[in-house]
Amino acid sequence: MSFATFSYPQDKGIISGAFETNANIFLRDSAINAINIPQYDHQFFGGEAWLNLNYKIKGFTFGSRFDMFHNSNLRNPTGSYSGTGIGRWYVKKEIDKVEISAGYLYDQIGSGFIFRAFETRPLFIDNALYGVSAKYQFNENWHLMGFAGKQKIAFETYTGNIKGIRTEGFVSLGTEENPLTLAPGFGFVNRTLSDEYMNAVVDVLRTYQEADRFKPEYNTYAATIYNTLNYKGLSLYTEVALKSNDVFNNPFAEKQELVGDNTLGKLVKAQGSVFYGSLSYVTGNLGVTVEAKRTENFSFRVDPNLTLLRGMINFLTPLNRQNTFRLTARYSPAALDISEMAYNFDVRYKFSKSLSANVNFSDIKTLEGDRLFQEIFTELIYKYKRKWQLTSGLQLVTYNQEIYETKAEVPLVKTVVPYIDFLYKFTPKKSLRAEFQYMETKQDFGSWLFGLLEFGLAPRWSFEASGMYNNKPKKANSKGEIEKTLYPTLGLVFFNEGQRYSLRYVKQVEGVVCSGGICRLEPAFSGIRFAMNTTF
Amino acid sequence: MRNFSLYIILVTFLFLNSCTEIGPEIGEVSIPSTERVVLLEELTGASCPNCPKGTAAVEAILKKFPGRVAAVGIHGKFLSEPTKRSKYDFRFKEAEDLENWLKPWLGKPAATVNRVDLGDPDQKYATVVTGQWESMVVSELNKPHRLSVLLDANYNETDKSIEIDITTIPLEDLQGSYNITVFITESKIIDAQIDGNVIKDAFEHNHVLRAFTTKFDGDALATNMKTGESIKKKYVFTPPVVEGLWVKENLEVVVAVHKSSSNDREVIQAAAKKLKG
Repeated sequence: MSFATFSYPQDKGIISGAFETNANIFLRDSAINAINIPQYDHQFFGGEAWLNLNYKIKGFTFGSRFDMFHNSNLRNPTGSYSGTGIGRWYVKKEIDKVEISAGYLYDQIGSGFIFRAFETRPLFIDNALYGVSAKYQFNENWHLMGFAGKQKIAFETYTGNIKGIRTEGFVSLGTEENPLTLAPGFGFVNRTLSDEYMNAVVDVLRTYQEADRFKPEYNTYAATIYNTLNYKGLSLYTEVALKSNDVFNNPFAEKQELVGDNTLGKLVKAQGSVFYGSLSYVTGNLGVTVEAKRTENFSFRVDPNLTLLRGMINFLTPLNRQNTFRLTARYSPAALDISEMAYNFDVRYKFSKSLSANVNFSDIKTLEGDRLFQEIFTELIYKYKRKWQLTSGLQLVTYNQEIYETKAEVPLVKTVVPYIDFLYKFTPKKSLRAEFQYMETKQDFGSWLFGLLEFGLAPRWSFEASGMYNNKPKKANSKGEIEKTLYPTLGLVFFNEGQRYSLRYVKQVEGVVCSGGICRLEPAFSGIRFAMNTTF
Repeated sequence: MRNFSLYIILVTFLFLNSCTEIGPEIGEVSIPSTERVVLLEELTGASCPNCPKGTAAVEAILKKFPGRVAAVGIHGKFLSEPTKRSKYDFRFKEAEDLENWLKPWLGKPAATVNRVDLGDPDQKYATVVTGQWESMVVSELNKPHRLSVLLDANYNETDKSIEIDITTIPLEDLQGSYNITVFITESKIIDAQIDGNVIKDAFEHNHVLRAFTTKFDGDALATNMKTGESIKKKYVFTPPVVEGLWVKENLEVVVAVHKSSSNDREVIQAAAKKLKG
């Protein structure tokens, strides 16, 4: 593979960009259920690539992105998708106090509860708004922004349109000794269903019995008001978002059937709300954060008949801790949009320069009180000079697989995970990192062991070997056998001036993959993965 | 400036108060008068939590369009394994082949109506929106009737076999190559089914695909058929002996004549017949 990187003024203009690619070789392995998708059956190779280019000159910014998907399993983990073309272009111009943009735009209002146009490549989410926006900066503290457009899907756009406004500001109160600041904001979004989507909704409603029918509306309105208050070590963020009567799919609503028993899941029309608060306090060596979020009927999509990760206009922040170790991240909940009450409590304390601790508690239930998720997480970090560092702790999780993975008559998954991460620096350039985790559980796949060794030769090389071992298996594989299975990974990473290359041989168990707080069920993977990325 | 922001908020709410839209009327489905019979293939499974919703949608369609829809429930691989309380396993290799042949689809339940290409890269033939199956059926019934399929299916008590006689008669010249697929389905099988987060032990499974008498993607029928030139096909199938299954009163023969190119698999006429004899 060859490519050029450059960053230099050109007639006072600046070119910048980024390149990212993934290439997978699929090696069929029925023992871990890595079978029955075209990539394993006959395609054998699949990958993706994105090339961003931006050019700034005289107040203009021009940008474009070339996207390539080749036998890719990102769009649908059980399918194969190929597509090549311009995935994004945009033009931005600043004229005095006004900034105007057109093309495929990314932006959000507040925390994203009513609108977030964003990209999450590992999950094939590219919810850019294809349209225009204008932002007027009244002064250094206040602005008003308006936008309108359609949501992007791969190389096309959904029909129907979205428009909205956002105003945000900054207010300084108090005195120099006792500064009190506010950062208030307000946003409003209107989604209008296209005739195509409305006809599809009407088609669906025609199949409903009288008790389930309602008159749909083309327009849905959502508004949010938010504020960040800072006073000394205290920071309080609050946001309230409301949505007018909207048609959306409620998978838990009972539907009358013409023939047979009632079933679950139907289109409903209802108002929605999200209440969110986050209070942080830092004093000396102590940091405390408390968060709470209440969500009711806040599914907000460009088309009510879309499911899974498709057509989401908004983004609901998950409240649980975002874990990074393999086994502590294994059971991670997606934010639920129909009914959720979530709390998160986090305490960090630095005992000395060498020793610090973190305790985190997350609790998520439905509004009816059914347990969805609970996590108790502890972490102790000890640093010995610049020679070595030890990170260790214990995680206890309760996870509702019935709801998050739609599995029937399965008990709550309860796990206990002790973990340890040890980093030793032989020299400033040579280091060894070792990870060990054990997950004790009687549910789902059963208990797991995970170990990793990573040898670093800064600034160029890193070598790794890891294994995930199902030592007390509970689940039969595709051959119908319950076997102890090892999922090994061998890899190396090469760094070269802002470029990062990685090559890995991977066997990965089926599981829920979360990225940016959004999760989906991913099948097992067996094969070789190459990844490369660079910015310039 | 704060006053301006308050003004924006006020204007927004005034705007909302003044918006009363005129929405669409729901109305009722109009049932076309036609001789067409459409093929409704449902991708389903005993371990599929949402599939009872698909089952209900299929039964409602069959009730609303009597004699106009031939239904086949495909228990392939995905979420089709028996539940922990199931007596039977409806899976077999050709059913899995057909399920794979209809990919890509997003999940289950999903259904294809006459294998029409939906133009959606995520779900080429089968959609997961159960509420749209009915309008897809109406759309197919409204298309011109181009081929008659006469079907006779008799159970031979002597050798316990099913004799299937099929005659196809084009009502207009039909260009291209066509295949014929013959499915054997079974209904009224009482067995476990996952429904949401519970297992229903006495769920009635209907139109379960049990066998093919042709290849799963059909046998060659004809190329460039001429108006009125009939083609006859005969198949004989002997059901296996399995306690509780292959009950002759509950068996049905479903026939579909469809295009045979790799990019066009559209069904132009189907037929369904319960066994006689």
